[in-house]
Amino acid sequence: MPDFIDGTENVSVHGIMNWIRLLIIFSVITVIGNYLGYKHPITDSLVGMGILSLITLAGVWMERELPFNVSSIIYISLIGIILAFPGMPTSNFVLYYVSKIELLSIVTVFLAYVGIGMGKSWKKFKALGWRAIVITILVIASTYYGAAIVAHIVLVLTGVPAV
Amino acid sequence: MKFLYSNNIYLNSSIILIINCGGTWRYFLLGKDGQRKNVKHTYRKKTDKRILKKNPWRDYRLHGSILILVIVAEIIGPIEIHLTNSIEISIMPLLYTMVLGLIFYLDKRITWVGKKQSKIAEGAMMLFIGILIAKLAVSSGQSIHLIFEMGPALLLQELGHLATILIALPVALLLGFKRESIGMTSSIGREPEVAVIVDKYGFNSPESRGIFALFIVGTIIGTIFISFLASISVSTLPLHPFAFAMASGVGSASMNAASLGPTLAEFPALETSIEAFAGFSNLLSFSIGIYIVIFIAVPLTEKLYAFLEPKIGRKSIIKKKEENEDA
Repeated sequence: MPDFIDGTENVSVHGIMNWIRLLIIFSVITVIGNYLGYKHPITDSLVGMGILSLITLAGVWMERELPFNVSSIIYISLIGIILAFPGMPTSNFVLYYVSKIELLSIVTVFLAYVGIGMGKSWKKFKALGWRAIVITILVIASTYYGAAIVAHIVLVLTGVPAV
Repeated sequence: MKFLYSNNIYLNSSIILIINCGGTWRYFLLGKDGQRKNVKHTYRKKTDKRILKKNPWRDYRLHGSILILVIVAEIIGPIEIHLTNSIEISIMPLLYTMVLGLIFYLDKRITWVGKKQSKIAEGAMMLFIGILIAKLAVSSGQSIHLIFEMGPALLLQELGHLATILIALPVALLLGFKRESIGMTSSIGREPEVAVIVDKYGFNSPESRGIFALFIVGTIIGTIFISFLASISVSTLPLHPFAFAMASGVGSASMNAASLGPTLAEFPALETSIEAFAGFSNLLSFSIGIYIVIFIAVPLTEKLYAFLEPKIGRKSIIKKKEENEDA
């Protein structure tokens, strides 16, 4: 029986201190990568990661503690949007420091965890035939292109200028 | 997966809404009387206990390895390969860390990264998705005016995902898949979609076997593949940069990140807007995407299957596949 929905997909860290420690580790690694790759000053990047970590923490906490059935991704998105909303007193502060963190620095660290995490599925992957690989490639490509082409057509029809 | 079946309540409910976000799953049962119940996960306590024992933050082997991977990747930096004068593939550091991470796990000589680290990485990853989403959300908030100007494109591109049914289903039939193809081609096949299919057709159904295969192959090659795909597409296809940004929200955080990388590299001047669109698109994929799968994609796949299968279906190739013996 496949074990990919065995619960490890959940925020499988118990207690707020564990979340905080994990976020600190992630932040430090990201800041190091951010410095090496993009030469952003370390202190500014640390503040930026602190802000992002706090938003994440708030989202994960709200998901578990508030009586609504809303997931953390929605909470995190909303908090981030509100904090950076033009005109909010927090917006300048948040924008300045968060802009010091390149998205790609975050992604680089994130995908390193993904890489180690997906090792578990390797055996099952090898057992599947080439046909499954062909279909998967087609599914991903057509999902991506389907969205891109529809978006492009609608953008052109609604008169968004090409950049 | 037992939790789906340990509960007979599912058999009585007419509609089950599943929302996966950041790895936490919520099931809403809309019963015949429309009453809403929230089903608690029987497995969460067990998982928490297991992970708590492991103290995820203390696993210095895992985090140390990640740090090494990141330092190596950032020092190498992006590599651009020119296939022709106009076509170039950029290989980003994010790809090195992922592939090297997988190699770290698979290489027997690297003894300090094993199954335990893999499990912790997978759990920790679900928390770190939050950081990624938060960064995108800040860009989205900053560019909130964009959603008013380009809302229609954002909403409609979610329907563009249905293209997979039209393209992949016929090929799956030609390759000799039978009802497996319904699970394999109705959606991109990440966790929420897996749950939808398993719930509709049952765990041991061919449809579920199809989506399990898609899930596993997608886990291993999906992120790498979409990164190359996006890289080639942004330099060759004359589509709007924002269209690529919106398309990157396919419904999987790692695929989103991987396809966003080359897009950002190609259009550096539009960085904030591209991040903003990716953020909005993600938000949509995670909130309404699942309903599109339940109410449009799966029924549509069924219809197309019923229409095409008698015409182009081949002899089934799935006889030798045993019933999920690998627990």
